Amino acid sequence: MNVDRIISLLRQAKHISEETVYTLCLRAQELLMNESNVTRVDTPVTICGDIHGQLHDLLTLFDKSGGLEKSRYIFLGDFVDRGFYSLESFLLLLCYKLRYPDRITLIRGNHETRQITKVYGFYDEVMRKYGNSNVWRYCCEVFDYLSLGAIVNGQVFCVHGGLSPDIGTIDEIRSIDRKQEVPHEGAMCDLLWSDPDEVDSWSLSPRGAGFLFGKNEVDQFLARNDVELIARAHQLVMEGYKEMFDGGLVTVWSAPNYCYRCGNIAAVLRIDDNLERQYTIFEAVQPQNGVGNPIIPTKKPQMDYFL
Amino acid sequence: MADRRPLRGPGINTFQIDAARKVHARTVQARIPQAAASAASERFISPSPPTTSAVRRLVPRHVCNSPNNPPCASCGTMIVPSPAATLPLQDCPSMTINNWTISTRKKPILNSQELEDWENNKLKGLTLPEMIFGNSYVRIENTLHGWTLEFNALDALKQVKLADCGIRVSYSKKWMDSKQQKQAQRSSSPTEFEVDDSSLKIAHHYDWTYTTRYRGTEESKDQRYKFTRDDTQQLPLDKLSRPDHILFYDDMILFEDELADNGISILNVKIRVMDERLLLLNRFFLRVDDVLLRVIDTRVCVEFDENKVMREYKEMEGDYKSLLANHRISHSHDPKAALRDSNWVAQHAPVVSREYETLNFD
Repeated sequence: MNVDRIISLLRQAKHISEETVYTLCLRAQELLMNESNVTRVDTPVTICGDIHGQLHDLLTLFDKSGGLEKSRYIFLGDFVDRGFYSLESFLLLLCYKLRYPDRITLIRGNHETRQITKVYGFYDEVMRKYGNSNVWRYCCEVFDYLSLGAIVNGQVFCVHGGLSPDIGTIDEIRSIDRKQEVPHEGAMCDLLWSDPDEVDSWSLSPRGAGFLFGKNEVDQFLARNDVELIARAHQLVMEGYKEMFDGGLVTVWSAPNYCYRCGNIAAVLRIDDNLERQYTIFEAVQPQNGVGNPIIPTKKPQMDYFL
Repeated sequence: MADRRPLRGPGINTFQIDAARKVHARTVQARIPQAAASAASERFISPSPPTTSAVRRLVPRHVCNSPNNPPCASCGTMIVPSPAATLPLQDCPSMTINNWTISTRKKPILNSQELEDWENNKLKGLTLPEMIFGNSYVRIENTLHGWTLEFNALDALKQVKLADCGIRVSYSKKWMDSKQQKQAQRSSSPTEFEVDDSSLKIAHHYDWTYTTRYRGTEESKDQRYKFTRDDTQQLPLDKLSRPDHILFYDDMILFEDELADNGISILNVKIRVMDERLLLLNRFFLRVDDVLLRVIDTRVCVEFDENKVMREYKEMEGDYKSLLANHRISHSHDPKAALRDSNWVAQHAPVVSREYETLNFD
């Protein structure tokens, strides 16, 4: 299996055979299996938020931020669903992981689960592209091995969603058995799902499940673990990033013009050796086909005689 | 792009302007009605044969108000889209028939500053949905009588209740039980890390499903022009199902929230204008996975020659499991797909309430 060749095919959004995907996923699993729940990463590093199958924007992201040859990357999850190239985006990241294992860290997002991908597009995309769900199943197996977080120079804690009342210290995350479908409750679920909000203490979401946490919880977590910043993704931000709680937490969003209609900007966060934060923002590109004609993604006809 | 040259000096470079023009041209072209209209006429078997007046008029009576309008199929004028002077592009098409002016505007989601303003002032107390297209609207205006009906996100969200809606996600009970158990364990063997009881209380209540019974925002200079209710009447469905030539069409989302991946809450408005009448559909669609489905439709029909506005409001709601059982195409690989289709739900969920109103201008 020639990873470089697959990378070049994926960058053009070309079809990858089912057997190749199988081999790729198997090898990725072997690699990810040996990573801990919270991966240690050194600076300088570029932290990236949700991608959601927007392959062309993922390519722009690498373009604008230097690329893997020059920089290390942490992806905070939500590689799939919603966009039209979930499979290619996820496989491209896996190929990079195989090709440059020390330069890229992949963290699991709440969309990297069987249940969510069945509803929000990834499953349908695979069915459309392959006529069966095998490729989806292979990818889901890989999801179960993705890390739950990362820590940059012991100073920046990276996670997809947020904090959990069951997690006081980062070491407690290390004891979670992560190799499973994300459960509906418990620490693993909270890390992937919870949101920061202007609340005085841990509180329950009005939906009846899921936690909200505020400045107090963030301050306590930072002090207890001796870290400076929590970098998370999970929520759409028009400007691409949003710092909260006196800079103790940042939301990074890397899918420009989300769902091809929000008109938002995307951002990545670079942490240099002095732990200085530098945001690079970028906009959506018009996807093009092989001969340079624009592809206008659309899910429904432009006009209909609705009643 | 390999051939992209580096920028020289400040300002917008010509490539960007050219790209902007192209994007703009595509947006405008997307509204050209011919292709879709011919496809639709093949699909439709018209219930009543088109009358002579329904056949395209030889002398068109409508006016395209914006130079951004598509080349008009009816009046034959070819309007070359001019490059907009400002970036980002604004797209506010509009047209006029008699004394009726229809306009729409589509803009990106609100930015952080606008969101803050909405959260702290305009919609105080509501945790806002994820995506708000707060600067978009569809507007129907009677210029002669100074009467306007507009559909926008702000007024729609003003009708979302700031109280507990009583709906919980499907796994809420299981989730709460397990958390309570954990808390009980913790209180019997206290650790250095304590979580107080507030974590299982909802900090602030609002209707997280964003259910809105919005029927549009009315503005009238003259108090006489009010809708009168008469539920016995119906919209002129036979006329509306006719594949009359569409002169103006738009479709937009006003707000959307994915309910933390527990389903969807979305408010969508679309409009089509024909020579004799227009139809607008403002649809709120809610799906809470494994719990319930809800569709709230407001339809507005304007008869231009009669100067008459009709508005029908309909609420449909059904339990998730019974609707799924109702969907008999179980051999499909994904039977739940139907429940993600608001049209299917609107047709199959029981009607909870219906209202019909009319407004006549003299």
